[in-house]
Amino acid sequence: MEAQAPLRKPLALVVCDIFGISRLTAQEGDLVVSAVFREFYEHASRLGKEHQCLMMKFMGNSFLAALENVDNVMPFVISIENLLSQNSGFVGRSLGFKFSLHYGDVLYIETSYGNEVLGEDVNVVARLNELAQPNEMVVSQAALERMPSDYRARAGASESRQFKGVGDVEFRRVSLLGS
Amino acid sequence: MGASDAEPMPEVVTEAIVVIDLVESTLTSNLFGWYAVGRQVIRDLRALIGEVGESRGLRCLRSTGDGYLLTFHDPQSAERAALRAVEAVFELLNRVAHRNRQVPEERALNLRCAVHLGEGDIVSNDREGPHVSLAFRLEEISRASLPAALNPIPPEQFPLQNYVLCSEEVAGILSRRASPWEMVSIGLLKLKGFPGWREVFRVLPEDHPVDLGRGMRVS
Repeated sequence: MEAQAPLRKPLALVVCDIFGISRLTAQEGDLVVSAVFREFYEHASRLGKEHQCLMMKFMGNSFLAALENVDNVMPFVISIENLLSQNSGFVGRSLGFKFSLHYGDVLYIETSYGNEVLGEDVNVVARLNELAQPNEMVVSQAALERMPSDYRARAGASESRQFKGVGDVEFRRVSLLGS
Repeated sequence: MGASDAEPMPEVVTEAIVVIDLVESTLTSNLFGWYAVGRQVIRDLRALIGEVGESRGLRCLRSTGDGYLLTFHDPQSAERAALRAVEAVFELLNRVAHRNRQVPEERALNLRCAVHLGEGDIVSNDREGPHVSLAFRLEEISRASLPAALNPIPPEQFPLQNYVLCSEEVAGILSRRASPWEMVSIGLLKLKGFPGWREVFRVLPEDHPVDLGRGMRVS
């Protein structure tokens, strides 16, 4: 089959990170952690398909998802967050999800290991994720401007952080507790 | 290691930390024998490291079984220690490439190298601390790591052997100090036991005169 040509397109980029895995490994062992990861991959993949993610890439206790329609982002994020209270693999384990969202032009390509998105904006959404607290989503200003107004209203005060090679990135925090 | 041994050493020191791994060393020893081949290969590597490191601030040389942990120190500037370390590693790779052309294939040395800069605790000819662990994590990166990276280079562009990886810290120093080496980001990776994403760089040899992966000169 002929490889798909690289395509530059504007996409909403979501990074999700499970918080509390090191403590879980210490308390319950790596076999339990493997089972939690399996649940995470299985359910997050399913939810990604349901919310029309263009691609999802799992990396240990994280994933990167790309969506063409920004309106699908919050329902997708909330469905993932709900796993903490609704899925037996997560309930009672003091885990949390940290999310980040950014919007930008990325290169969407097919690789030997699956679909991939490349570009500076991928680094931005990854670096934003490091600023998120558990059960919180850090949203760049570029993404916030494209979100539905009811979610925009939930965003906290504007903050800014300088990222290497990118410069200042403005962002806001959205709490996911009670979503 | 030379004159610096006579000076009292601090408990904690900022050094360039280098991890060098001998590719397929266990396989070679099992196939051709430790006494027939393996021992001489590792001794040759130790001797070459001594030669290239002696004048560049090599202070710790510790066997890891199938490679070595090295540290480089510069009493005036920790950043310069990183430059010396990278310089030493490329000189080592050049000497290894030269040696490999003169020995039978089973005695060839092929290396994976990683360079980081950070504080470590000094213990008898050894170093301890998270920065040492991070250097080992860098060395463990392979083609198979790339699908789990963000913004990765294509896995097939990652060499199998005779390459140098470095941390963001070292890459920053090489950029700031206008070093002769080019760097290519291989992607953002999560390193086991370390929080967050870390950008990892491949340092390319000066002017790319030698394809170190194959030990061949390229035109």
